[in-house]
Amino acid sequence: MEASSIDIVVFAPLAPILGVLLFWFIQLVFIESEKYLLSKIRPKHEPFCRFTNFLGIFFQTICHALGYTVTKSGISNFYIDIDYGKVAPKKEKKGIFEWVSNVFLFIGPFFIPAFLLLICLFFLMNSGFEITTATQLQELRYTFGEQITSFGASLFSFTNAFLNFLFNIDLLHPAHFGFLILMIFLGMGIRPSYIGKEKKEKVDMLYDLKNIKALFLNKPLYLIILFTLAYILFYVSFWFNINWYVALFVILGWLSIISILSIIIADLILILIKTSDEISGNKKALPYITMPTSYIFARVFFFYIPTDFTRPLSILILILSTITVTYFLTKRKTDKFKTKSDIKKLKKKRKGVKDG
Amino acid sequence: MDEDELLKGERVEKILSPHPLSFMRYQSLSIFLVIWGVLVLWVINASEWQKFFVNNFLLSLSLWAIGLLLAGIVASLITIRWSIFILYTCIVASGTGFIFWLGLQDVIGVFVPVYTIFISILGFIFVEFYRRSHKYYISNQRIKFKGGIITKQERTLRYDKVTDINAKQGIIGQIFGFGTIIPISQSGFGLGSDKSFAGGGVSLGEKKVKFLGLFGGGKEVQTPRARSYYELHGVYPYKEVKKLVEEMVQGNVITPYQQEQVAFQKEQVDIQKQMRDLLKMQSDSKADQKDNEDGNE
Repeated sequence: MEASSIDIVVFAPLAPILGVLLFWFIQLVFIESEKYLLSKIRPKHEPFCRFTNFLGIFFQTICHALGYTVTKSGISNFYIDIDYGKVAPKKEKKGIFEWVSNVFLFIGPFFIPAFLLLICLFFLMNSGFEITTATQLQELRYTFGEQITSFGASLFSFTNAFLNFLFNIDLLHPAHFGFLILMIFLGMGIRPSYIGKEKKEKVDMLYDLKNIKALFLNKPLYLIILFTLAYILFYVSFWFNINWYVALFVILGWLSIISILSIIIADLILILIKTSDEISGNKKALPYITMPTSYIFARVFFFYIPTDFTRPLSILILILSTITVTYFLTKRKTDKFKTKSDIKKLKKKRKGVKDG
Repeated sequence: MDEDELLKGERVEKILSPHPLSFMRYQSLSIFLVIWGVLVLWVINASEWQKFFVNNFLLSLSLWAIGLLLAGIVASLITIRWSIFILYTCIVASGTGFIFWLGLQDVIGVFVPVYTIFISILGFIFVEFYRRSHKYYISNQRIKFKGGIITKQERTLRYDKVTDINAKQGIIGQIFGFGTIIPISQSGFGLGSDKSFAGGGVSLGEKKVKFLGLFGGGKEVQTPRARSYYELHGVYPYKEVKKLVEEMVQGNVITPYQQEQVAFQKEQVDIQKQMRDLLKMQSDSKADQKDNEDGNE
C-alpha cells in the first residue's frame, strides 16, 4: 500500500485544520446551549447572568488587548464593565497588524482563556500531552488519513487523561479545587450573552460566525498567506520527519476539548440552578448544601474505610446525592397541590350517594 | 426616622441601608482568613509536605503566622491602611498566646486552622452588625445618615448645601446593582485627600564614619471620600437612588434664570420702596404745608 503524492502534497495539510474546525464548531454548539440555559434563568438570576456576561466581556477585552500588544500597537485606553469592554490602540496600525489584532478579538476568546487552563493542567496532569503517531507503516506517513488519525489519537489520549483527572479530582486539594473553579469560570464566561447597555445585542453562534466570516472575506489575501504558511510548515515537518504540523493543531484541539468540558460543567451547574428554582421556599438551598456536605461525608467515610477509588466514589456520591435531593424536592412541590383525599374516590363516593 | 424627628412639611421618600456585599473590603479580610485556615489545615495534615510538620510545632506556627503577617503587609500597602496589618498581628499574637497558655503544641495542626476560621466567622458577624447599624433617610428636604455600633454617628445634609455629587460603582456593585453616592457639601464635608510621600537616605563612609542625607517630597490630591455613615454607602438600587438624590438637589438649587428673576424682583421691590418713601415724603410735606397755612389763617 502506497500513499499518492497528491494526497501528501495537497490534502494531508488540510486534515488537522479540518479537525480543529470540527471541534471548534462543537464548541460553538455547546456555547449556544449555555446561552439558552442562561436566558432561561435570567429573570430570576439577573446578577448571576451579569457576572457571566462580565466574565465573557473580560475574556474578550483581554484577548483584544493581547492582540494590540502582540502587534506592538500599544494600548492607550482599556475600559471594561459588566456590559461593555473597549480597548483602544496607541498607534492605529493598518494592514496585517490590524487584521492580526482582529483575529485575537474574534477568535482569541475561544482559545486564549483555555490556554491558561492548559498551562495549569501541565502542572496537575502527568500524562496525556503526547503527540501520537497513528500509523506504523512508513509508506502511509504524512497522508491525509495518517494526519487526521494522528490528530484524533492525540486528542483521544489527552481527553482520556483529562477525564481521568476530572473524575479523580481531589476537591480538598487547593490546586485541584482552584482549577475546577477556573474551569467553571471559563465555561460560564467563554462568550458574553450580550454587548452594550442600551441595545441588547445577543452574542450567539451566528454573531460570532458573521464576524469571523467578515474578518476573512475582507482580506482574502491574508487567508491565502495563512494557508501557504500552514502548507510550508507541513512540508518542513515532512522534510525533517518530525510532525510539528500536527502538534501545532493538536494544541488547538486540546484547547477546544478544555473549553467543551468547561462548558459542560457550567451547563450542569446552570441546569441545577434552573431546577432548584422550581423548589419553593428556603428548601431550594438544600441541593447546594448537599454538594459539599455529601462530598466531605464521603471523604471522611472513605478515610476510615479505605478503598482504591476514594476520589471517584466521593465525586459519584456528590453527584448522586445532589440529583436525589433535587429530584425529591421538586417532586414534593407537585405533591403540595394534591388534595388529602383522592379526587377519583371522592367522585365515586358522590356518585354513590346520588345513585342512592 | 421617628415621627418627632421630621421637620415641618417633611416627607420621607426612601429609607436605605447598605447592600450585604457593599462592605466587601472588610469581608475580604475574613474571606482570606477562611482560605488561609483551610490551606494551613491541608498543608499541615494532608499535603505531601505533611512529614515536615510532624512533631515540629514551631514550623507549623511559623507557616501560619508568616503567611498572615505577609498578607497583612501586602493588604496594608495596597490599601494604605496599617490597621489591616495591626489586626492580623493581633490575631497572630492572640493565637500564639492561646497555644502556649493552653499547651496546645501537640494539636497545633487542628487548633490553628479552627482558630483562624473562628476568628473569620467573628469578623463576618462584626461586619454584618456594622452594616446593619447604617440607615439613610432621603426626605424631600434633606438626607439623614445614621451609623455606628457603639457610638452612634449622625449627619444631616440639606439639599441646598450640596455642591457636588460623587457616585461610584465597583464590579461587584455593577453585578448586584448597588453603589456609593457621596454628596459633597459647601463646607467640604465628603472630601478627603490622598497623600503620597517620597523619601530617600544616603549613607556614606565606612565603619563609624557615616553621612546620612534625607530627601523627601509630598503631594496631596483631593478626592471624594467619607466614612460609610456619612455617605450613601452601597445603596440599592443604585441608579434609582442616584437619580432621586440628583433630582432633589436640582429641585433645591436656584438655577441662573431663577437667580436673575430673584434679582429683578429685588430691584422692583427696591424701586417700589423708594417710590413709597417719595410718596410718603410728598404727602408729609403737603400735610405740613396745609398745617402751616391753617396756622397762619
